[in-house]
Amino acid sequence: MNKPANIVLLIDDEPKIRRFLRAGFELNGYVVLEAENAADALKISTFSPPDIIILDLNLPDLHGIEVLERIRSWSNVPVIILSVVAGEDEKVRLLQAGADDYVVKPFGMAELLARSEAALRRYFKTATENPVVVAGPLSVDLVTRTVSLNQTQVKLTRKEYRLLHILAMHVGLVVTHDHLLKEIWTGNQRDNIQYLRILVRKLRQKIETDPNHPRLLVTESGVGYRLQSRLETASAEG
Amino acid sequence: MRAEFLPSLMSLVGVALVTALLLMVDRKAAVALVPVTYLIPVTVAATQWGIWPAALASIASMAVADFFFFPPIYSFQIENPEEVIDLLLFLVVSLVSSNLASRLKRETDALRRREREMQKLYELSQRLAACFTIGDLVSAIQDYLAANLGPQAAFFVATPDSHFEPPESKAPKAVLDSVASMAAVAGAPGRTIVDATNQEVWLLRAVSTETTVHGVIAINIGNGTSEAIKSKTAGVEAIVEEVALTLQRIDIGKAMEDARLHLQAQLLRDAFHGTLSHELCSPLAAIQGSASVLATVPSVDKDAQARSLVEAISEEVAQLDGYIQNLLQATRVTAGGLKPRLEWTDPRDIIDAALKRTARRLAAHKVLSVLDEDLPLINVDSGLIEEACAQLLQNAAKYSHSGSTISVKVQADPGWVILSITDQGVGVTADEQQELGRRSFRSERHQANVPGSGLGFWIASTFVKANGGTITVSSRGPGMGTTVSIALPASDSNLSELAVLDNE
Repeated sequence: MNKPANIVLLIDDEPKIRRFLRAGFELNGYVVLEAENAADALKISTFSPPDIIILDLNLPDLHGIEVLERIRSWSNVPVIILSVVAGEDEKVRLLQAGADDYVVKPFGMAELLARSEAALRRYFKTATENPVVVAGPLSVDLVTRTVSLNQTQVKLTRKEYRLLHILAMHVGLVVTHDHLLKEIWTGNQRDNIQYLRILVRKLRQKIETDPNHPRLLVTESGVGYRLQSRLETASAEG
Repeated sequence: MRAEFLPSLMSLVGVALVTALLLMVDRKAAVALVPVTYLIPVTVAATQWGIWPAALASIASMAVADFFFFPPIYSFQIENPEEVIDLLLFLVVSLVSSNLASRLKRETDALRRREREMQKLYELSQRLAACFTIGDLVSAIQDYLAANLGPQAAFFVATPDSHFEPPESKAPKAVLDSVASMAAVAGAPGRTIVDATNQEVWLLRAVSTETTVHGVIAINIGNGTSEAIKSKTAGVEAIVEEVALTLQRIDIGKAMEDARLHLQAQLLRDAFHGTLSHELCSPLAAIQGSASVLATVPSVDKDAQARSLVEAISEEVAQLDGYIQNLLQATRVTAGGLKPRLEWTDPRDIIDAALKRTARRLAAHKVLSVLDEDLPLINVDSGLIEEACAQLLQNAAKYSHSGSTISVKVQADPGWVILSITDQGVGVTADEQQELGRRSFRSERHQANVPGSGLGFWIASTFVKANGGTITVSSRGPGMGTTVSIALPASDSNLSELAVLDNE
């Protein structure tokens, strides 16, 4: 723990939301900055750059997506969106505009912390670090391209490995259908989500204990897939 | 019969009266007064009874004057030729003036009648202006007809099946038959019926707007000259026109009222969707978030009692959030904003997500899921179908006792994927089955003991239908459990064909 504490910038116009976010992040060793509107948020993120930004879409002066676009014009800092149960289209648009992930209100602090940690891990990953991604019982060696489940090596086809590789690079974060299709397929197959669905089904049969109720490679309905960084206990759902 | 001769008799009486008066004065003076005084009964007759009694009075006056006042007296002969000219002159003057006076009378009569008609029409239009419903209008017309035309008029209300109400009126049978045979169709021409028994003419005129016929007016306009019938017809048509204008106003008013209500409902829905949902969701998010942070605070985490209280908060918030989401979904449906975003989806993902979302509600039940090995993909809006399945799973849990089994089955059927959810609960009666698809339907059997809004099944079935699927409910009866099956259109591409591309 000799690494300096991570700085998180909370952008939300609701004081009550900021209050519990601050408590939650501080309990987990973060330094917290707050902004209640887009103008403040942009000022703070320019003059004292945070390590991660939590951005609510409903701001009094500017829509969240514009704040995101402005931040992305000069910075790759991880951004997690707080959204209400909105259409999948909006989530996809936000991810394409450069958001790292989202959580849907109402959410638990554990969920937001997990997303934040995943985003930070991906952002601060350096080449010297261990190239092995661990997700529960699964480990993926991104250099040797070997996959093992409970220390037993798993044989994957090339496309199955490619899919797992991309998800492992974003472990804990959502990856959109578009992203996956464009990375794995070429030509007009890139537009056919049916290939992706079937590929996921086959990969699940190799890495999940119960492929009908996956706990590692989970579906984000209408958006994409996520490789969970650790197995959640069943009761933690909801 | 006697009444017809009364005017002539009265004019003769008038002449007799004047003669009696003149007989009382000096004869010389009487002769000088003759031409002037006899003009009085003539003019009175002309103004009161018209030209013919006046003419009669003129001739009678001349004869009487000759007889009583011009020498030789008591004879119709006249000595002085000058007096002959006087008498003839009197006759001409009195005839001309009686003609003038009677014409004047006819005209004032006509004017007065027209004024009366106008007054009545004005009263009718005043009355119509106060009408805001078709019912008001019908009673206004009926009152007007009864007051002004008595039993000689009737109004027959149109029935929804394009006929007219069985008339209860003293109108002759021919008229009633004709009304019964008229179809209440917009633009139907009016009819004219002649009553065979007394040759009276009845007018039948439909009262309608451009699209709807509201009734038909039948009026007896008697059997006068064609001139009189024409003017009465014009009068009736004036009423019909006035009524039609009112109907149009009522129609427009109703359309505006409908539009206003629609707009209000729309605004309410928008408000709920936008502001209200935000206002409700954001405190919930704060409560949920705060509870989740509180649960990780070391001092709370160590204290079992505090921890269980925090968990209770989280659970209640989750339930409240579920209700709000239900309402939001329902407004989404009614607002017509349901536009499925179809995408090829693995049915397993949908069932898995629905089970995960309802895990807490299903915790007291045994859940058994059986999925076919090679399920085809389905082209649906996964969010909507997931919501539908979650609603059905919650219903299954709500209407069956804890500890019983809820089984979820997903099967492939050529061209379709069938998702079915079976519980061992209260079942569905035949009557309830009829009502199930209705919004806000709640069976009386459960109203007292199971909480709910009656939205769940309605949301599920609406979402399924919006995705091109069908939903069926079957139950062997009360207490025998329920099976709800959703059939969704499936991919016909061969799965192994898709899969083979990946075997590299």
